[in-house]
Amino acid sequence: MAVIGRTEDGVRSSPVASALVWLAGIAREYGSLVLVLICWELVARLSLVPPYLMPPFNEVLVRIWAEIGDGTLWVNLLDTLRRTLVGFGIAVVAGVAIGLLLARSSTAEWLVGPLVSIGFPLPKIVFLPIFILWFGVYDTSKVIMIVCDAIFPVITATVAGAQGVERQIIWSARNLGAGERDLLWTIILPAAAPQILSGIEVSLPIALIVAVITEMMLGGTGIGAAMMESWRFAESTGVFAGLLELSIIGFLLIRSMNALRRRLLRWHAEAQADLV
Amino acid sequence: MITRLKSCLGLLLLMLLWEIAPRVGLVRMDILPPLSRIFIAWLGLASSGELWTHGVISLFRAFSGAAIAIVVGTVLGVAMAASAPVRIFFRPLMEALYPIPKSALIPITALWLGLGNASQITLIALGCILPVAVGAYNGARGCERVLIWSGRALGAGKMRTLVDIVVPSALPELLSGIRTALALCLVLLVSSELIVSKNGLGYLIGFLGGSGIYDAMFAAVLTIAIFGLIVDRLFLRYIRWVLSWQ
Amino acid sequence: MVAPMEHAGPGRVETGSEDAQIVVSGVSHVYRPKHGRQVLALDDINLTVRRNEFVALLGPSGCGKSTLLYLTGGFLPVEQGTICVLGETVRKPGPDRGIVFQHFALFPWKTVRANVMYGLERKGVPRREAEVRAAEILVQVGLKGFEDSYPSQLSGGMRQRAAIARTLVLDPATLLMDEPFGALDAQTRNLMQIELLALWRRSPKAVVFVTHDVHEAVYLAERVVVMSARPGRIKAIVETGIDRSDPEFVKSRAFVEKVDEIWHLIHEEDGKAAP
Ligand SMILES: Nc1ncnc2c1ncn2[C@@H]1O[C@H](COP(=O)(O)OP(=O)(O)OP(=O)(O)O)[C@@H](O)[C@H]1O
Ligand SMILES: [Mg+2]
Repeated sequence: MAVIGRTEDGVRSSPVASALVWLAGIAREYGSLVLVLICWELVARLSLVPPYLMPPFNEVLVRIWAEIGDGTLWVNLLDTLRRTLVGFGIAVVAGVAIGLLLARSSTAEWLVGPLVSIGFPLPKIVFLPIFILWFGVYDTSKVIMIVCDAIFPVITATVAGAQGVERQIIWSARNLGAGERDLLWTIILPAAAPQILSGIEVSLPIALIVAVITEMMLGGTGIGAAMMESWRFAESTGVFAGLLELSIIGFLLIRSMNALRRRLLRWHAEAQADLV
Repeated sequence: MITRLKSCLGLLLLMLLWEIAPRVGLVRMDILPPLSRIFIAWLGLASSGELWTHGVISLFRAFSGAAIAIVVGTVLGVAMAASAPVRIFFRPLMEALYPIPKSALIPITALWLGLGNASQITLIALGCILPVAVGAYNGARGCERVLIWSGRALGAGKMRTLVDIVVPSALPELLSGIRTALALCLVLLVSSELIVSKNGLGYLIGFLGGSGIYDAMFAAVLTIAIFGLIVDRLFLRYIRWVLSWQ
Repeated sequence: MVAPMEHAGPGRVETGSEDAQIVVSGVSHVYRPKHGRQVLALDDINLTVRRNEFVALLGPSGCGKSTLLYLTGGFLPVEQGTICVLGETVRKPGPDRGIVFQHFALFPWKTVRANVMYGLERKGVPRREAEVRAAEILVQVGLKGFEDSYPSQLSGGMRQRAAIARTLVLDPATLLMDEPFGALDAQTRNLMQIELLALWRRSPKAVVFVTHDVHEAVYLAERVVVMSARPGRIKAIVETGIDRSDPEFVKSRAFVEKVDEIWHLIHEEDGKAAP
């Protein structure tokens, strides 16, 4: 404790002390994670469960290393990532456009609004067999399925954001000479941005989840397909390697989303702090 | 009344289009059967009992998995908010597991437990715990300290405070976490039944599609879709009712 | 006093050289919310604001002061009666009538400078010139050094000044202000009042200033319009006739008596609203 106190004072921060502080922080931050991984390794090593159910952690890492070596990892990873991002991108652009239309036009609102409110809670994944029937088992089906699932959070968030813009903000802009087009681009879109981004944040993980499902169902390339392949041959290291790879992709996607949000909403982070 | 009608118009138009487009040859009949044929196929599925046998299996899986996830998730989330050791242990795990696309668990539980109920229930439970736990944790953490203090001052013990004060004030976030979990539950159920199962509605859809009986496949698909819609609407009603004090 | 403006149009721009800047004639306004009952917010309002006159609008909460301002600004449609500003019938919002809202309505995603430049950009003023003009006006309202702050990083008084600067930079001939100092502490409020008066003298314009505060109304305005509660009607128009050349005029007898007179007018209103 005393050691930590001293380093914080900055009086005599020996390298040993600061290393200790750093270690304590790491332990607090990741301790349980490391513990669980060690348990995993022990359980598997001591053969408490058969290896075809749970391979040792290090073997999973070796497997991933091998996949990197022979290049299969990149192929699968890029395929999964590409489908996820293409579907997600279409969902975002179309979702924002539809959302703005719904928020600004009453005709669109009563024609399409109910469809959106019904479509949102539907488990849209059940339509996958229909899409296979219509578009085959290749990327078209996969991407359309991803768009179908990822678009709804964006639409509803955009509608909520655009309708929630304070009346006086819009009036101010009009008063300062903004036309309809200015209003949309310089006022409504930025004012709705926080909500739109929240919707996008919901839809990104959905896109990944659905991408994996479509790959598992339709086969071909991608990490999901590779996992099913390993599963069929009861190759547990392959299945777990896929799980780990997907976790890393998910982690990276969420991280970049957060970074984007912080960048775009610099004005908003503080605004929330002292909103009356 | 007018607004009611108006709000259905878009849907009615879509249904009409669905009925007419295949009949006039705008799309191929076998690829998109008209709505009326799908309804007839549905009656066939229902009367042959297929819909019910598979439906009951799916319902059982969904219900058990969701129930486990809700109970475990709530307890975990509240415990994390209330106790520092629990939080220090579980927070890193939660943060590490959160980004995993839940569908990646499908082959894992299938590997562990094979193709039966146990596999699907475990999958749903594992996949849905996190949204519930995160909702419970955030909600419980947001509970104002003065509320807890006044509970203690009024003579409530630690456990009582937790149940009487922390959980109710966590309710809005907890319920919205559960709503997410329910949606996820259906997705995991259907997709795992489609991919690794020998029964359940998802399997039925895959089977019908594989055998080329498309009108029946559409009927089964719409059944699940409508079921999901009804579950969500009912749960939303329930949320409104529970939170009517707000 | 109220001139019907039937023939208002481009041909009669000279009306501006007449005495009237804003002419409100026979204006009533009904709110028809989707749910809930209709509210008659304004009932047959007739009011003329003279050229470059400073008018205060005073009245109990809910009497329709904001509504009248929104109608003049062109934000709500004038459904009954007419409002003319400088001879033109009001139909839509425009930069000739600057408005400062009660809650600032700054664009939170833009810096102070970008907020102030927004109107200039819409007018097509070249960027460099817009920057110079924004910088000038920000110095005038005392926000030098805060050009790159976001509204959320400013104090209430500073936000108010930013909102005023954003409106003033377009130099509108008519300025509509809705309880602009309502959220400020007494000291900042007084400072802002002094600044506003100085600004108005430097660049004369017609000002309609909504307030709850009798003292503030008499302090600032040449005429005080007192409104009565639901439905909003004009109860009285009082010329303040204060000689503001004396720096201590707030303590003068004339000032105190004016405040008192208007107080009484408003309190009669309390008596009526009670039963
Ligand atoms: N959007 C609206 N829908 C329905 N009624 C409204 C709406 N806005 C205002 N009203 C009603 O119109 C009346 C006048 O409102 P207004 O905001 O003009 O009053 P005000 O004099 O500005 O009050 P305050 O001093 O509190 O700001 C009020 O009785 C209010 O209830
Ligand atoms: Mg008002």
